[in-house]
Amino acid sequence: MPDQSPAVEFHQVTKVFNLQAQKTFKEFLPAMLRGHQTAHRHTVLDNISFQVQKGESIGIIGPNGSGKSTILKLVAGVMSPTSGKVVVRGKVSPLIELGAGFHPELTGRENVYLNGSILGLTQSQIKEKIGSIIDFSEMAEFIDQPVKHYSSGMYMRLGFSIAVHVDPEILIIDEILAVGDASFQQKCFEKMEIFKKQGVTILYVSHSQPSVVSFCNRAIYLNHSQIIDQGAPPQVFETYQRDIASGQ
Amino acid sequence: MFSIASEIVQIYRFREVLWQMVKREIKARYKQSILGYFWVILNPLAQMLVMSFAFSLILRIPTNASSHIPYSVFLYVALLPWNLFANSVSSACNSLVSSSTLITKVYFPRSILVISSIFAKIIDFLFALTILIGYMAWYRIPINANIFWVIPIFIIQQIFTIGLSLFFSAANLLYRDVQYLLGLVLVLWMYLTPVIYPADLVPTRFRLIFQLNPLSVIINAYRQTILGGGQPNHLSLLIATVVSLITLQLGILYFKSREKIFADNI
Repeated sequence: MPDQSPAVEFHQVTKVFNLQAQKTFKEFLPAMLRGHQTAHRHTVLDNISFQVQKGESIGIIGPNGSGKSTILKLVAGVMSPTSGKVVVRGKVSPLIELGAGFHPELTGRENVYLNGSILGLTQSQIKEKIGSIIDFSEMAEFIDQPVKHYSSGMYMRLGFSIAVHVDPEILIIDEILAVGDASFQQKCFEKMEIFKKQGVTILYVSHSQPSVVSFCNRAIYLNHSQIIDQGAPPQVFETYQRDIASGQ
Repeated sequence: MFSIASEIVQIYRFREVLWQMVKREIKARYKQSILGYFWVILNPLAQMLVMSFAFSLILRIPTNASSHIPYSVFLYVALLPWNLFANSVSSACNSLVSSSTLITKVYFPRSILVISSIFAKIIDFLFALTILIGYMAWYRIPINANIFWVIPIFIIQQIFTIGLSLFFSAANLLYRDVQYLLGLVLVLWMYLTPVIYPADLVPTRFRLIFQLNPLSVIINAYRQTILGGGQPNHLSLLIATVVSLITLQLGILYFKSREKIFADNI
């Protein structure tokens, strides 16, 4: 019997950032001695609970600063909640800002090995997949050149290509598809459709209504650190638009 | 000591990432410059030649009454491990800050970044060591079985280095002043450690401080065992081991307590 527990669970998750008001000792020490505030607290997520079932594609929408990316970072395990509990079942592959961790002096191929291992592939797995990674990125010509000579589009293509070869169980995508040319965007969406068919759980942060509506089976609308609405994407976008119109 | 063991298990699980990170550091340096790895050898060699000139021809620091070791060898035997220590701690101190994009995007044990920068420095050290070996052969300095002591001494040094590095790297994420402070501390620390002078020149009333500074015990022990000065002082070495283990334990505890909010603070 397959395991039916949700892929991602948020139980009353609150995330508070303690932003330091002073970046150096020089500023910090006098402020502390005078009893000024040395940190201000900023609540990004306030007591949020939701679940994502295995194989679901969830769109997360909302205005800038509403905590969408923070949710993805909590799922990726990069951040920890201030209170509450985040449960993630399965291997997470982040498509957040592709090419993070590329070293500019190393060649594309060397960066594939580096980045692949950071994303959780073993050396032998990378060796097996490198041909397919290069093919997908359409970068065969430049793969043995240092990535500092790459354009930002090439950088992103290689990054995406590595990330989709990790065989994720949970894929988290943050806006990235907004960059890159139309044909590569098309290719990315096709790849995401394939993942969806394979039963990969997808969390997708985007401002683009058409892509969320066509791709996701559910949407979550975040605003003011809370979940305002969730459900079928067209209906959730209606709530969102009503809020924008009423100046919320 | 439980946290040390669990940290080792974590790093072992991510050993391929660690190895890739070490390779990244080394390859990147090799590509950036024409002389590439030669700098790693040239740098301490030049340092040693200038210091030898200053401290053996001008200041005339006595090496060791009983032996006939040239000052240059006497110095180099201590300078190389000292440089390894200083370079490791300062490069590790910046390792988290310079990988901030990775820290905010992907999960892996953050200590990998610190450890990998230390490993890269160890490889540099091995290259620089070739000059020392050549030098000792040239002066026909006899070695004996005590040379095997360098293995435990090296391990103690790395325990201490990793402990300090974990502490400084995490603190540097909070306040960038830490890296500048560390630069100053390392300069002063070198003069408080018997690198350019022999340990027996230290007045007796300061001996206790020397016992508690693992680096002086370690540097002195290298010099003694490599240059045929007999076995290292076992008690001193034991104290250095204990101090190093405590440093490592505290370093890990501090690092762990901060690790959860690394991504928040960058």
